[in-house]
Amino acid sequence: MPDLTQRRILIDPITRLEGHGKIDILLNDQGNVDRAYFQVPELRGFEKFAEGRLAEDMPQITSRICGVCPMAHHMAGTKALDSLYRIAPPPAARKIREMVYSTFMVEDHALHFYFLGGPDFVVGPKAPAAERNVLGVIARVGLEVGKRVIDMRRKLRALISLTGGKVVHPVFGLPGGVAKRVTPEDKSQFQSVAAEAVEFARFTLQVFNDVVIKNSDYVDLIFSDAYTHRTHYMGMVDANNHVNFYEGSLRVVSPEGREWAKFKADQYLDYVAEHVEPWSYMKFCYLKPKGWKGFVDGADSGIYCVAPLARLNAADGMATPLAQAAYQQYFATLGAKPVHHTLANHWARLVELLYAAERMKQLADDPEITETNVRNLPREVPSEGFGVVEAPRGTLFHHYKTDEHGRITKANLIVATQNNAARIAMSVDKAAKGLISRDNISEGVLNMVEMAFRAYDPCNGCATHSLPGNMPLMVCVRDREGTIVGTLQRDSDGTIRRNAG
Amino acid sequence: MTTRVLCLGNVLLADDAFGIVVAEQLRRRRPDLEVRESSTSGFDLLDDTLGAGRLIVVDIVQSGALAPGTISIFREGDVRTVPGGSPHYVGLFEALRLGRALGLAVPDEVTIIAVEPADCRTVGGAMDASVRAAVGEVMRIIETQAAG
Repeated sequence: MPDLTQRRILIDPITRLEGHGKIDILLNDQGNVDRAYFQVPELRGFEKFAEGRLAEDMPQITSRICGVCPMAHHMAGTKALDSLYRIAPPPAARKIREMVYSTFMVEDHALHFYFLGGPDFVVGPKAPAAERNVLGVIARVGLEVGKRVIDMRRKLRALISLTGGKVVHPVFGLPGGVAKRVTPEDKSQFQSVAAEAVEFARFTLQVFNDVVIKNSDYVDLIFSDAYTHRTHYMGMVDANNHVNFYEGSLRVVSPEGREWAKFKADQYLDYVAEHVEPWSYMKFCYLKPKGWKGFVDGADSGIYCVAPLARLNAADGMATPLAQAAYQQYFATLGAKPVHHTLANHWARLVELLYAAERMKQLADDPEITETNVRNLPREVPSEGFGVVEAPRGTLFHHYKTDEHGRITKANLIVATQNNAARIAMSVDKAAKGLISRDNISEGVLNMVEMAFRAYDPCNGCATHSLPGNMPLMVCVRDREGTIVGTLQRDSDGTIRRNAG
Repeated sequence: MTTRVLCLGNVLLADDAFGIVVAEQLRRRRPDLEVRESSTSGFDLLDDTLGAGRLIVVDIVQSGALAPGTISIFREGDVRTVPGGSPHYVGLFEALRLGRALGLAVPDEVTIIAVEPADCRTVGGAMDASVRAAVGEVMRIIETQAAG
């Protein structure tokens, strides 16, 4: 527990991310950072809410956890139902699911690069506050590019609506298949938009190259020690150890890049465990066989990371040709594999954007996609099901136990941000220690600390879906000059403590 | 000028269901009005604003300073965009500004009808009686505004 008599700087709230978080920075007597905490004061209760409900409703219910990646929850839930009812979808249904999922990944990754991560890299981490926003990104890349982004996104969302029923809360995934086939007309629409998406992704990689890679300040930032951690990496791979978002095995590589584990969704509890800290409402995932060793780097630590950077590290390559070329350029430029630089997530995300677009195109071109058999009916008595997908922000596990009528008796969800939580906490602490002191608390520096976790694109709203209860709460009181005059702290057991500044 | 009513909320999050409840009742009572509902935030809302001449947004807004169920009405111009917030956030107002910058058909006039919640974080929670009681008044305000 932090000593609250120390000086404290708050960056609160971390907006733009779904849900709300807070960074609490404590200074020591010398005026340097003693410890920085990444906090999530958001309250949810999803797993409890799921109990007693029909498992078949879970793809719809869980997609409402947040409005950012409903398709990922819908698909993880649908795959958990396949497992629960022990029924595999027909080939066309499997391909339709992956095609729609790839469409979603293109849209989400593009949105992140241009509008959410863009203010950091496209506009620049030290640009004036007035320019560090979406309009600043548009001013930098040009109105025509802005229009192209909006137009691309609109077309992708129209396709998701066409097959998914609704774009925000899709209703097409069913145990053993999908609710709707793809007609030849639908197929040609997917083919046309996918071809456009491939060009759009190539163009976006070019923008990244021109704006970021050609700017030595940005490259120095990517390589800087403040944004570097040597941890394990996890990501889903196909039979060839290529990145796959929809199905495959979970592969974990060590900080040296060697395969440390490879497992299926139903084995996740043998590999992933959750650690609780008194100062956060979020549970911190770690590799169970390694054990919890604290917030430390290295091969002996159980801390791992997911999301684009981790997926590229955990795989041997990409399954599509253009993305494979981009993958090779990425590692050649960054010099080593695995890449330990957190900010490289932004680049890795664009390699994946190209893969998602190419994969969408491959599946749209597949003659089997228009087959009319898209459902196998479940006949088994349900008991337990596991589903996993790679969400835009990383590995997403859904695990349900039910009674014989398919009513949920226990649900466990491990979302991307939980997998990353320990590394995010380390990144925030390290960036704060490297960049902040009592004499250097400029807005630009604070923004650079926030950048340490924005690269992960954490979704805090859905990462804190644990049981309701008293959450740790910290309040900081300042006078007009900004000097702290006292703090209030409500601990996780509900006791309130007061401290003088 | 086309008026569209955009109701925001999440039926799973206690008082956050408010906008969705208003949308359901409004559709029944006033089938002549264009009513939309959305459970997303930020940038996704841009799609729901395009093509409307005038937009009335219904949502809960937690100020912490008002009693639950209190109704506030303000216009887009009354709001300082994300005061104190992060430059990386894309909310309704940023989405509108982006739409204008790109020359898209965003509404000229945006009115927000906001209701103070008691609880908008408990999954599966019920709407507070004070918030539910505001539904009728908000419907009347929308009808008056739509007629004006």
